[in-house]
Amino acid sequence: MAAPILRRTTLGALNAVVRLQRPCSGSATSTSSQYPGIVESHEEYHFVERLIPPTQVPRPPKHTGPAPSGWIPPKDTLPDLPYVVRRSRMHNIPVYTDITHGNRHMTIIRKIEGDLWALEAEVREFLTNLTGRTPATQVNEINKSIRIKGYFDKELQTWLAEKGF
Amino acid sequence: MMLRGLLLICGTKGPGIRLLSSFSSEPIVPPNLILPPGLKDGPVKFQRPPVDLSRPVQRVCKVPVPPHLSARTVWLESLSEQEDEPTGLVQLHPDVFDVPPRIDVLHQVVTWQRNFKRISYAKTKTRAEVRGGGRKPWPQKGTGRARQGSIRSPLWRGGGVAHGPRGPTSYYYMLPMKLRVLGLKTALTTKLTQNDLHIIDSTEIPSPDPQYLLDLINRQHWGESVLIVDANEDMSENILSATIDSKKINLIPAIGINVYSMLKHDTVLLTIGAVDFLEEKLLWQDVRYSALYPFTLPYSDFP
Repeated sequence: MAAPILRRTTLGALNAVVRLQRPCSGSATSTSSQYPGIVESHEEYHFVERLIPPTQVPRPPKHTGPAPSGWIPPKDTLPDLPYVVRRSRMHNIPVYTDITHGNRHMTIIRKIEGDLWALEAEVREFLTNLTGRTPATQVNEINKSIRIKGYFDKELQTWLAEKGF
Repeated sequence: MMLRGLLLICGTKGPGIRLLSSFSSEPIVPPNLILPPGLKDGPVKFQRPPVDLSRPVQRVCKVPVPPHLSARTVWLESLSEQEDEPTGLVQLHPDVFDVPPRIDVLHQVVTWQRNFKRISYAKTKTRAEVRGGGRKPWPQKGTGRARQGSIRSPLWRGGGVAHGPRGPTSYYYMLPMKLRVLGLKTALTTKLTQNDLHIIDSTEIPSPDPQYLLDLINRQHWGESVLIVDANEDMSENILSATIDSKKINLIPAIGINVYSMLKHDTVLLTIGAVDFLEEKLLWQDVRYSALYPFTLPYSDFP
C-alpha cells in the first residue's frame, strides 16, 4: 500500500520539477509574477537537482582486496586464458541460480566471451575436485552461457574472482 | 546449349541437372538470366581494398574499449569525392559493431516491428448479428425434419459464422528494451561483417542530380538499395533533392534507425555523427539501471 503512494508522490515531485524548470530556463521576470507576494528563489534549486536520480551505474572506487561488503574487485590485468567472463552492469560476477520444476537446481554462468568449452572443462574439473563427482553441464553457444546441475553459485563466483575476472 | 544437349541425352530432367551440378565446381549462371547492372555480389564478387592500418585514424571511440577487445577499424568513405580510394580510417566500438550474431534476436525484433503496429480488421457476423432468424422455422415435432431453431444458425447456408474473427484485433506488444537494443547491435554487426555497412564523413554531395548518386552507388558496388543514416534531420539540400524521388535510396536520421530497415536495404551508410550517436545511446544501455520511472521524465545523466 505504501509503495504506490510513495511512487505517486515521487512522480508528483518530479512533475513539479519539470514545471519549475520552465520558468528557470526562460527570462526571470519576477516583477510580473502571477502570485503577488511570493518570490521565486532560483538559488535553492540545486537542492532539487540533488534529488534527481542518475541513470548510469557508477564505477566502483579503487579497492585493494575485497571491499567491506564482500565485493571483490576485478584484477587490473585480465588472466591469460582463452575466455573472459565480464562483470554484470552492477559489477558483480554473472553467476546465477535457476530452478525449474520445483527441485531442478541449476547454476548459470553468463557473459562469457571467447572459448566457452575451455571454461566448461575447467568448471567441470573444479567441481569434480570440490564435490568428488562430475556435475552435468550444458554449454549454450547461442547466448554464450554455461548451465551446471546443482547450486554452486557462491563457489563459482569466488573461483572466478580468484582467476581475476 | 550444353545443358540442353545433356537433357536430350539423359531424357529426364532430374538426373541431367544432378549430373551437371555434381561435376561442375563453380556456380553456373543460366544464359537466359538477366542480371540487373548494380547487383550486389553478382556473378563476380567485388573485392574491396583491405584496411590499411597505417592511414590516419579520423575517429576514435569515445567510450573506452574493454581491455580484452579491440576496436574495429574500417575505411572512412565519402559521398563527395570522385576518386574511389578512401583515405582515412574509423574506429568502431566492439560492443556495438562486433557482438555475437544473435540471429534469433534479429528475428524477434523484425517480427515485433511487423506486428506491433498491426490491426487486423477481419470481422464476421455471428448468428445474432445476421439479419432475421428470430422465428422457429418449423415446429419442433411432427414435420419429419430435423429440429431447427433459427434460419441463421451456423449450420445453415447464409447463417452466422461460428467462432469467426471478431472485430478489430490489436497485435500490439512490446519487446523488452534490452532485446531491442541487442537487435540493433546485431544488425549493425552483421551488416558490417558482410561488408554491407560503410562509414561516410558526411552526407554532402556536390550536385543535386540523382544520377550522381546512382553512378556513385554503382561504382562502389553498394547494390540496389541504400539507407543513408545521418545524425540529425537537417541534411543538406543536395542530398535531399537527389533522393526525394528515389524509392531505393532512403535517408533516415539516426534516432529512427531500426532493424527492419537495415535488413531491407542492401547497404547502410552511417555518417560519423550517426556512429557517435548510436554508440552513445547503445552503450548507455549496457551501464544503465532499470528505469525508476519513465525515461521521458528527468534524470541527471540521461544521454
